[in-house]
Amino acid sequence: MKFSELWHLSTKVYKEISFQSIFSLRAGSGLPQDGRRDVKKLVSSARFNTLISKLITTFFMSVFAFIVFLPVIISGVGPPVTLEEALPGGVSAFLTVILFLIVFMGLQVSTSFVSSKIVDVLSPLPLSKSEISQIVFLCFVRIFDIPLIAAGLVFLVIYFYIGGSVFGGLIALVAIAVTEIFALAFTVVSARFFYSKVARASGKSIWHTFTRLIFMLVWIIPTFGAYFVVNFASQIVDFFGYLTKGFSSVSHLLILIFPFSYGFLVSYATFLPSVDYLTTSLSIVAGVAYFAFAFYCLRWVIGTVREIGTGTLIKGSREEVKDTMVNPQTPWLGIVRKDLRVASRAPSYASLFLLPVAQTIVLAITFSSFQQIGLATALGVLTGISMITLLLPPTLLSIEGLASSYTRHLPLKKETLVTAKTILATVTYIVSLLILSAVSLALGKDFSPILIFGLIHAFSVAAAVMLELSVLLRKFWKEGFAVGNIYSRITTYVLILIPGYVIAAIPMICALVTFFLAASMVLPVFLIAALIEFLIMTAVVWIQK
Amino acid sequence: METAAVRVENLVVSYGSFVAVENLSFNVRNGEIYGLLGPNGAGKTTTIKVLVGVLQPRSGSVAIYDTPISDEVASKSQIGYVPEEVVLLDSLTPREFFEFVTSIRRLEKESTNSRLERFVTAFELKQYFDTPIAALSMGNKQKVAIVAALLHDPKLLILDEPLIGLDARSSKILKELITFHAKKGGAVIFSTHIMEVAEKLCTKVAIINKGKIVGEGTVDDLRSVVRSAGSSLEDIFLKVTEQEAGMQDVIKALEEE
Repeated sequence: MKFSELWHLSTKVYKEISFQSIFSLRAGSGLPQDGRRDVKKLVSSARFNTLISKLITTFFMSVFAFIVFLPVIISGVGPPVTLEEALPGGVSAFLTVILFLIVFMGLQVSTSFVSSKIVDVLSPLPLSKSEISQIVFLCFVRIFDIPLIAAGLVFLVIYFYIGGSVFGGLIALVAIAVTEIFALAFTVVSARFFYSKVARASGKSIWHTFTRLIFMLVWIIPTFGAYFVVNFASQIVDFFGYLTKGFSSVSHLLILIFPFSYGFLVSYATFLPSVDYLTTSLSIVAGVAYFAFAFYCLRWVIGTVREIGTGTLIKGSREEVKDTMVNPQTPWLGIVRKDLRVASRAPSYASLFLLPVAQTIVLAITFSSFQQIGLATALGVLTGISMITLLLPPTLLSIEGLASSYTRHLPLKKETLVTAKTILATVTYIVSLLILSAVSLALGKDFSPILIFGLIHAFSVAAAVMLELSVLLRKFWKEGFAVGNIYSRITTYVLILIPGYVIAAIPMICALVTFFLAASMVLPVFLIAALIEFLIMTAVVWIQK
Repeated sequence: METAAVRVENLVVSYGSFVAVENLSFNVRNGEIYGLLGPNGAGKTTTIKVLVGVLQPRSGSVAIYDTPISDEVASKSQIGYVPEEVVLLDSLTPREFFEFVTSIRRLEKESTNSRLERFVTAFELKQYFDTPIAALSMGNKQKVAIVAALLHDPKLLILDEPLIGLDARSSKILKELITFHAKKGGAVIFSTHIMEVAEKLCTKVAIINKGKIVGEGTVDDLRSVVRSAGSSLEDIFLKVTEQEAGMQDVIKALEEE
C-alpha cells in the first residue's frame, strides 16, 4: 500500500482516537445526545480541542526552550562562562526537557490508544499486519505531530539566534530526531509494561499493589524531570561550562552519555576552530552510536506500537483468586477508594494527583537557598502548591464521567460526592506539605513557617475545592461528568478555577494586610479567615442538597 | 389501591428536536415480568434510562413504588439495573467494582458477602474476580453488571437486553432468577429483541414503536388484538409495528442478489 493511502487511513483512525480521548467515549451514553447536529458539533469540537492541546504543549515547549537557553544566551555576553562553554549544557538540558515532555505526553496518550482498540477495527479489513502496524504508528506519531515538529523548529531558531552554523544546525536536527525517537521508544516500553503488569494484570497481592504504586511514581518522573531541568537550567549550563573549561575523565565519560554527547557535538560543530580531537572523536562515536540505536528503536516502535493499539494482544499476568470477599465502606470512602484505584491505573489521572507533590519538591529545593523563610516566602510556596491542587476538582469529577451511563443509576447524594472529592483533594494538598517536611529535613532547613501556614491553609483549600465542585455539580449533575463535558468547554474549566483561586488567596491577602498593621496577629487572622471560608462552604454544600 | 412498582404517566423524552418517547404511560405491578419490546430505536432503552435516573424526561411523571424519580436516592435505592451497553469502570477489577457499588448502596458486609459468593459461583465469575474489567470478555462484563444489580436484593429489576453475550448456562440461570424474583413478589422490567424469550418469560408485554406503545397486555391479549389466535409473539410484533408488510419482498430481493 502506498504511503499516501496509509496516511489517509491513519487520518480516519486518528480522528476517532482524538474523539475518544477528548470525549471519553467510555462514558457510553453519558455523552450529551441532543440530536445529530450536536454530535457533529462534538466531533468538530474534539478536533479543535486536540489541536489546542497540541498547541499548548508546543507553547510550553517553546517557553521551556527559552528558559533553558536563557543562560546560554546571557553567557554569550561575557564571563564567567562563554557561549562555547555554555552551549553543551544548554543543548543537553533542552534535549532532556524535550525527552521528558514527549514521554509525558506519550504516556497520557497511550491510555486512549489502548481503550480505543483501533487494531480491533482495522484487523478485519483486508490489510496486512505490517500495514496495520504502519497505520497505528502513523496515528501514534500524529497525536504529537505539531510538538514533534515544533521542538525541532524551536531548537533551530534559538540555535541560529545564538550564532549557530549550518553544520551545527544539521547536527542539532539529528539530535532532536534521535531524542524524539528515544522518547517514543521509552513511551512504548513503559506503556507495554504498564498494561501487562498493572492495567491488565489480575491479583490483589502486596506485590501487585506495590507495582501500581511504583507506576504512579513513574508517570510523574517525566513531569518532575522537565520541571527540574527548567528550574535548574542555569546551574546545569554553568556545570557544563566548568566541565568544558577543564576536560577530565569525568567529562569524557559524560560525552558518551545521551543527550550530553549531542550537547558537546553541537557545540564542536558550531565552534570548529577550537576543536579538541579526543573529545570530538568521542562525541562523534557516541553520536553515531546513538543515531544507529535510534534507527533500531524506530523499527522496534513501529513493530511494537501495534500491541499498544489493542487491548487483547497485551496479556496480563494472573494470580489465583482465593476468596470473593468485599469490604463495603461508607459511600464517601467508597468513592475515594474507587478514585485512587482508577488513578493508579490511568496515567493521565495519576500524574495530576502527583503534580502538587512534584511541584512541592521543586519549590522546596528552589527555596532551600533562602537563609530564612519569611511570611512572603511561605505564602508564595503555599500559593504554588494550592494553585496546582485546585486543578484537581474538575479532574476528580471527570472520573465520575467514566461509565457514567452505569454509575448514574446508583443512589448517590451530591454532598457525598463533594465530601469524597474534597477530602481527596485536601489530602493531596496535605501530602504535599508532608513531602515538604521530608525535603526540609533532608536539606537541614527550617520550613516550619510554611508548614504551619500550610496546615491552616488546608481549610481554605478545602473551601475552594468545595466551591469548584459545587459549581460544577450544579452545571453537570443532570448532564453527567463525561470528560468532554468538562474539558471541552475551556471557558467553563478556566472560569471554575478563578473563584477557587480567589478563595485560596483571601486568607493570604488578610495575612499580608495584617502583617503591615499588627504583625503579631498574622497567624490568628490567617486561621480565622481560613476557618470562616471552610465553615461557609461546608454549610453551602449541605444546604444545596 | 395496590402500590404499583412502576407508574409511568405521559412520559416524553426528547434529544433536541427529536422526540424519542411520546406520551408513554404504563404500570408495572409486583409479581409481574413486564417485557418491553420494539424495533431498534423505538424508545425502549430511552424509557428504561429515565426509569433508572440516567436520563431526564422532558415531561411526564415516573414513580418507583410511589416515590417520584425526582427523589433520586430513594427511587434508585429500590432498583437493580443492567444496562444494554455494559460500560463499567473498566480499570477496576470486579472485586473493586463490587466494593464501590456496595459502598454507595451502604450494604452490610456479612450479608453482602454471602449473597456475592452465591452469585459469583452461579455465574462462574470467581476466576476473574481480581482481573481488570477491561480484560474481561463481553459476556463476563455482562455477568459483573448482573451480579452488581442483584447484590442489594432490589424490589425492582430493570434489565435492558440482559441476555446479550451470556452463555447458555448463565442465560438459563438469569431467566430462573427473574422468574423467582417475580414469584417472591418483586417486579421486573425486561427489554429484549428475542421474541421467544419474551413469550416464555414475560407475564405482560408492551410493544413500543416510534416512542409510543402500540400494544400492551399478555401475549393472549395481543393475539386477540391482531385477531390471529395461533400467532407467535414475533408475528404479533411484526404486525403491530407495521413491519410485516413488504418484508417478504425485501427478503426475496436479498435472496435474488
